[in-house]
Amino acid sequence: MMINIFLKCIFFFAFLHPTYANNDLQAERDKIKSERNSLAVGWRDNLDFKLPKPGSYKLYNIRESGNGKVIDEKGKEIYLHDAMKGKITLLSFIYSNCTDTNGCPLATSVFYKIQEKLKNNKKILSKLKMISLSFDPEYDTPEVMSLYGKDLSYIDAEWSFLTTNSMDSLEPILENYDQPVIRKYKNDGSYDGVESHLLRVYLIDDKKLIRNIYNVDFLHPDLLINDIKTLLLNNG
Amino acid sequence: MYLRKFGISILGAVAFIFSSLSFADETCMSPYMAKIVGQEDYVYVWTLGVEGLGDEQDKLVTIDVNPKSKTYAKVVSVLSVGGRNEAHHSGLSDDRKYLWAGGLDSNKIFIFDVHSNPRKPTLHKVITDFVEKTGGVVGPHTFYALPGRIMVSGLSNNTDNGGRTALVEYNSKGEFIATHWLPTDGDLRGAKKTGKYADGYGYDVRVQPRRNIMLTSSFTGWSNYMMDFGQMLQDGEAMKRFGNTMVVWDLHSRKPKKVLDVPGAPLEIRCAWGANNNYCFTTTALTSKIWLIYEDDNGEWQGKAVADIGDPAKVPLPVDISITSDDKGLWVDTFMDGKARYFDISDPHNPVQVYEEQIGSQVNMISQSWDGKRAYFSTSLLGNWDKTGEADEQWVKLYDWDENSKELTNKWTIDFYKEKLGRAHQMRFGAYSLYSSTTDNKKAVTLLDK
Repeated sequence: MMINIFLKCIFFFAFLHPTYANNDLQAERDKIKSERNSLAVGWRDNLDFKLPKPGSYKLYNIRESGNGKVIDEKGKEIYLHDAMKGKITLLSFIYSNCTDTNGCPLATSVFYKIQEKLKNNKKILSKLKMISLSFDPEYDTPEVMSLYGKDLSYIDAEWSFLTTNSMDSLEPILENYDQPVIRKYKNDGSYDGVESHLLRVYLIDDKKLIRNIYNVDFLHPDLLINDIKTLLLNNG
Repeated sequence: MYLRKFGISILGAVAFIFSSLSFADETCMSPYMAKIVGQEDYVYVWTLGVEGLGDEQDKLVTIDVNPKSKTYAKVVSVLSVGGRNEAHHSGLSDDRKYLWAGGLDSNKIFIFDVHSNPRKPTLHKVITDFVEKTGGVVGPHTFYALPGRIMVSGLSNNTDNGGRTALVEYNSKGEFIATHWLPTDGDLRGAKKTGKYADGYGYDVRVQPRRNIMLTSSFTGWSNYMMDFGQMLQDGEAMKRFGNTMVVWDLHSRKPKKVLDVPGAPLEIRCAWGANNNYCFTTTALTSKIWLIYEDDNGEWQGKAVADIGDPAKVPLPVDISITSDDKGLWVDTFMDGKARYFDISDPHNPVQVYEEQIGSQVNMISQSWDGKRAYFSTSLLGNWDKTGEADEQWVKLYDWDENSKELTNKWTIDFYKEKLGRAHQMRFGAYSLYSSTTDNKKAVTLLDK
């Protein structure tokens, strides 16, 4: 069984990485792809509807984005807003042990696909920042986040994998972004990790205003790229 | 080498695969909101205050509904809000931490914290500038969760107090974002008018995000919903001021696309859950019909009447409806005869009534559990439209529903007049396990992205 699971792991990443090809594995890959197609829209290659033309609609100012101290992959403490570098930012809260297919893996997969789809569009890519921030600092040390993100951001995209130094640092950030998390507690009341979370990805403009919030029903790379283009067009 | 290239630990990968194989059946259940799939702990009832009864104020009434609790079927919390507002509908934020509840007359929006202590909600914030901020929208009705936002449908406007109105978008902090006016003959806002009407009226709002569709329905304005019901029925001009449309919107751009004729005040909208079920239902209050709003084979959204509810000539006045999670059943409450009717909607184009039960002298709202085994009913329609005298019962009732034998069984009734609470309107569920998980409750409730 473990061999089977291991093989499926390989197939999973093969799906994430289109450059990896093995004809012998095609059937299994198709099976996994089929399963995924019955899941969230973000796992599908194409949206089922035609998107409005970029710039033809308005992305409203939802509110100011939150700030707070975070730690980068090298263990350096920085402010979340500084990590955005004045660019259009996609921010996702994740944790490395996430087991919800339509949660963190989906968000990470969508970010990965965005950079792939934009890899020949340096103009947009140069104005985009992607941040995956852990909401489980107990387990996700900078080393773990570095490992999680290693090689995922291999194109010219700026994609940071951040964490915080404690729950005390993290909670105000989660509160500001209204990022819901259900945490597990043992019957003696001690912390037992993350149970589940409501997937949210935030589109933040260069003035640090939240301009869209996506959950599993909206999180598709084509839709996010459409919104990024809209922000760039609206900003002239 | 591949592992280095793919960059994520094997442990994480194993977890990914397990989840894709094990949890696939639990996806696509609900847009936006955490869901209680097991036993709910509390029902929150947004209740209209009544002059001369108790403290006379609108209030959020919390009922303990967990059968394992010592206070099962008892009111465990009453939170009055300091006056009467024509309390009407309420809706939870997508994280279910807050319950938004509106006053159709005062235009106030009350945001209750239901997560800090689900047994004893507190008043978190009151929005008092709804009309001013929105540019004249009146009557905050439906509160529908979008990711990090709440879409509020209005019923009226402050220019003529009629039915022309808008959708209003707020962020999760209770701050105004935007107003989206419904299309009218005078300003279709780019929408296509497909029939006789483009009245700009509003009532409910629902979405099907995978089709990028938002739907709105239409009722009537402040001048009617605050009028005495009997007086209004005698007023020919007033009776002309009811909505006859539904609007299909582009959800992502918030632009109206198509105005459909749905005559007779289409009220509640309930969309199918199934991943390939591209349709929603509504019922028309004045013409007593079930309407199907569906995407046809050409990808066009259409509306058609698919069934009568009772005898339309007797105007049973269908009010709240509730679709089962498997898309096979639709509950329809009819206010005038106090009945709940259950339609088999396995074929959505041909609903068939398979059951009906007298719930009381009047009935308005229904809230059913995710598994369909429990159905809560309440009474109040509008302060000036509820029945009078002995027929003016006000209660919340729980019924068990046996899907196999098609039988409702009354489990308990809480008399809201006897308890000096008021008129019981919208009911929403709460549960401890939405907010933290222990081995005791984690199987009872699941926080699902879909």
